[in-house]
Amino acid sequence: MTNPVLVLRGITKTYRMGPENIVHALRGVDLDIGQGEFVAVMGPSGSGKSTLMNIIGCLDVPDSGSYVIRDQDVANLSDDQLAAIRNAQVGFVFQTFNLLPRLDARENVELPLLYGGDRRDRRGRAERALAQVGLADRMRHRPTELSGGQQQRVAIARALLNDPALILADEPTGNLDSRSSAEILAIFQRLNDAGKTVVMVTHEPDVAAHSRRVVRMRDGRVSADERVPAPRHADAELARMVPA
Amino acid sequence: MKLLDSLRSALRSLVVNKLRSALTMLGVVIGVAAVIAMVAVGNGASERVQSTVLQLGSNLVTVTPGAQTDQGLRGAGAIAQSLTLDDMRSVSEQLAGSIQAIEAEQTAGRWQIVAGGTNWNAPVTGVTEQYPLVRDWKLAAGEFFTESDLRLNAQVAVLGATTAANLFGDGEAVGQTIQLRQAGAAGQRARIISFRVIGVLEAKGSTFGFGRDDQILVPTTTSQRVLTGRTNAVSSIVIKAAATETMAETTEDVRAILLARHKISDPQAADFTVTNQNDTLAALSTITTTFTLLLGSIGGISLLVGGIGIMNIMLVSVNERTREIGIRKAVGARRRDILMQFLIEAIALTGTGGILGILLGWGITEVVKRFQPDVLVVITAGTVAVAVGVSVAIGVIFGLYPAVRAARLHPIEALRYE
Repeated sequence: MTNPVLVLRGITKTYRMGPENIVHALRGVDLDIGQGEFVAVMGPSGSGKSTLMNIIGCLDVPDSGSYVIRDQDVANLSDDQLAAIRNAQVGFVFQTFNLLPRLDARENVELPLLYGGDRRDRRGRAERALAQVGLADRMRHRPTELSGGQQQRVAIARALLNDPALILADEPTGNLDSRSSAEILAIFQRLNDAGKTVVMVTHEPDVAAHSRRVVRMRDGRVSADERVPAPRHADAELARMVPA
Repeated sequence: MKLLDSLRSALRSLVVNKLRSALTMLGVVIGVAAVIAMVAVGNGASERVQSTVLQLGSNLVTVTPGAQTDQGLRGAGAIAQSLTLDDMRSVSEQLAGSIQAIEAEQTAGRWQIVAGGTNWNAPVTGVTEQYPLVRDWKLAAGEFFTESDLRLNAQVAVLGATTAANLFGDGEAVGQTIQLRQAGAAGQRARIISFRVIGVLEAKGSTFGFGRDDQILVPTTTSQRVLTGRTNAVSSIVIKAAATETMAETTEDVRAILLARHKISDPQAADFTVTNQNDTLAALSTITTTFTLLLGSIGGISLLVGGIGIMNIMLVSVNERTREIGIRKAVGARRRDILMQFLIEAIALTGTGGILGILLGWGITEVVKRFQPDVLVVITAGTVAVAVGVSVAIGVIFGLYPAVRAARLHPIEALRYE
């Protein structure tokens, strides 16, 4: 790993749900993710993978430990500084797509540019990002007029817009049928082939099998971290499927 | 986030919830309209009071007999006979250069007037020859009496426009003879005195019963000797100062001259009272300002209620859009961005409501004008500016708390919100 994008050292996170109910979500996580990796984070519910993903995505800060994203230490940053890092370095893809229902596809994709980054040629860049995920003909459609797979592709286009350090996907195929899932995974693989760093949280082994590296979580710790010897190719799977 | 983007986003969210936006706005619309209409009525009343006072002449300094009490009220009032025509002449001579005109009046009470077969009852006042100058009152016909009429106690009269119309209709009044009659007290003969009409005053109109179009003017000397028998006494001396700026000075000069003439050394013991129109206007404007404030605050209360409505709906909106806030924060919105978004939405609501309210308020005053022409309504640019300012301020004040709540939401919790 020559060029690490993320470096996590001794990350802990504790939630105090009540006076007697203290949840140790992360109990000391060390993790390095390099430029151009495609990592799947797996684990049963309660393993801490969601907490880890929130911290990696700068939505939350660890109680202790250090987290450096693209040479920037995230500890002790204010809410607004974290927002700026999310804007510039992290592209989120959520299980529930999280598009704004009142905006059309292109406006949803433009959203990160409202809050930072290079504001020039907003529309053109949004349109190119949508074309990249195969939605050139759906620019002016609202989320409700799009299928789940199409909505998720809009979300991916949005995640790509500010050219972030990593794409962070949380169960991106959880709400999709197998064909749409394959399409989304194919896009991730294409982006990864082009050099994008992708981190994907999933509990489905079939989905994780498309990544190049699987990190398993258990009880707030990394329990296994292994290469995927032969990642499955979503494009090939799509080709075998019955045409929609 | 750039302002233009915020504005576009705010307007979009208002358009999406059309009915809700309209109902919320209604509170502000009604509030602003109420303020505009009520203040317009208040301003109108104040303007009318002013013009009513000035209608009886401008830059006036008035001397009345009787001492001034501590409260500024006159003691003996019209009964006192401490002022005379000689006082007027003396003031006139000594201040000749610094005043425009001077006259002395003696009220002679109400008389029954008979002209041909027509009867009318009107107040009769003795005045001196500069009355038209002092009161800024032109003649519609004929002429006013002269110094020689006064010297000769001439039995000539100038009629107010209403009086002339009631006695002579459309006919020519000038040159006619009228009889002033007063029933005698028990055992006394009724008095009948003839006057020749030599002029008719222009109509000035009346407001709040202050009009003086129904009156008969006769020379003061005639009034003193023929009508009242109170020889030489006058009920007021009215001086028209050279300019508004010199009124205070003229007031002091008049007081000094009369104190000297009456041989009174202590101004507190003066047997007359000098007031000037500025004081009267100031006193009246205090009243009308209070009146306007009262009306305005009634409108203000509805504006406040409208503002609370805005706050309520913005809180609901923040709650409903928790997920949107989470998404925006996830893609990099800072607290300030979210704060501005919701604040601008609130201001857009109240600002639009304010503009509609101004139009509605203006419409109300137009309706009032049409159905109640007597009520003067005045919308000033100041009122409009204040109304716009206040509605924007209401947006800020009542939108701030919901916006701060939105801005403080934690992105993870906001994203999880169902």
